[in-house]
Amino acid sequence: MIEFKDVHKWFGDLNVLKGINLKVAQAEVMVVCGPSGSGKSTLIRCINRLESIQKGEIVVDAMKVHDPKTNMTKLRAEIGFVFQQFNLYPHMTALQNVTLAPMKVRKIARKEAENMGRYSLEKVGLGDKLHQYPAQLSGGQQQRVAIARGLCMRPKIMLFDEPTSALDPEMINEVLEVMRNLAREGMTMIVVTHEMGFAREVSHRVAFMDFGELIEIAPPDEFFSHPKSERTKLFLSKILTH
Amino acid sequence: MWGFYIEQLMHSLPFFLKGLWMTIAVSGISLVVGTLLGFLWGIIRSSQNRILKALVGAWVDIIRGTPFLVQVFIIFFILPEFGIQLEAFPAAVIALTNLAACFICEIVVAGIQAVPWGQREAAISTGLNWYQQLRNVIMPQAMRVILPPLVGQYVLLIKDSSVVSAIGVVDVTRVGWLTVQRVPQGLLVFGLVALLYFIICYPLIQLSNSLEKRMSSGYSRGKV
Repeated sequence: MIEFKDVHKWFGDLNVLKGINLKVAQAEVMVVCGPSGSGKSTLIRCINRLESIQKGEIVVDAMKVHDPKTNMTKLRAEIGFVFQQFNLYPHMTALQNVTLAPMKVRKIARKEAENMGRYSLEKVGLGDKLHQYPAQLSGGQQQRVAIARGLCMRPKIMLFDEPTSALDPEMINEVLEVMRNLAREGMTMIVVTHEMGFAREVSHRVAFMDFGELIEIAPPDEFFSHPKSERTKLFLSKILTH
Repeated sequence: MWGFYIEQLMHSLPFFLKGLWMTIAVSGISLVVGTLLGFLWGIIRSSQNRILKALVGAWVDIIRGTPFLVQVFIIFFILPEFGIQLEAFPAAVIALTNLAACFICEIVVAGIQAVPWGQREAAISTGLNWYQQLRNVIMPQAMRVILPPLVGQYVLLIKDSSVVSAIGVVDVTRVGWLTVQRVPQGLLVFGLVALLYFIICYPLIQLSNSLEKRMSSGYSRGKV
């Protein structure tokens, strides 16, 4: 479904991705973790070409992401992206937020788009907040609207870039719960997160990144109980003490 | 003594109203066309097209860095040397339109820049194309930043329109010049001129102030 082939990226002189090779299968849930600045956000931002790459190739659903001939609208319509800072449109209600892209990109009639929007928002538990503006919602609710906005495009893949990092602790669970349900339904997901509980419970594989390299990828049981690399052990010892 | 002059001034009132109409015509046309052009240029300056961006940027800098009076003279006196003959009225409208477009361009650029980058990324990642991003996501938010200074700029431009009296456009300022030769009471004559400008500008000042208040509280701009 998603394949990285020897992907390199530089920001100026800074080598942020150093030869990434990675395959994610359909319906697989993969968690990417690592210290900040390790390149994990950049990694998933490359998948829908929010970032360019300088070397290598990324293929999503048989489409070459960084090929100029690729129809980016079609590609991006297949990939839902959830940001750390939600990035909801503040001048639109929840329903307008989720129906904008289906109407403009998929050219779906307003009535049908609103039905889909209502369905998506109900799915994230916000069926009663259709006409609220983002500022009238809590952080957790805003992030769930953002997830619904992605789902409303009926994507094949959902990417999450630290979806709970900007949330107050008591709101993290409601967002993770939505993500758990998605995983159960067989959505292909890559999740950049520090929520190791989520990784252990939901993911099929956990990847550890450091200094732009994929150090270790393993199923969660193995990853947490028998990490192979010293760097992974060090990272886990820091993050799992509390 | 004053009564006599006031009476004379009253006789000239229709003349003043004609001048007022001319001021409104020159500024009105220039503001409408200048606003359209200014938005277009501002959007171009905020785009990814390097060549167009640089061209618009250079033009805006040239216009902002030279006196309006000189620009009016260039259009009216110097263009004819190159075979482009213009009446005073179209020359005035062209000069003021261009000036308006340049200042409005800068306001629009600032407005677009004020929209957080994450908004554009969210729009990009759902597959919206450039125009759809601009139309549905960026501009509605940018307008809140643009509107108050835009109306404020209108006030400045209406006042700048008095400069076109120098090439013989009979606007309110020109009417003042002509009248003061017959009614040698400068204070009275130009007091009336000032009053007429103020009558047009004051509602706009009020509008700008109230927009400022409305836009800063306004919607629901939560965490973005």
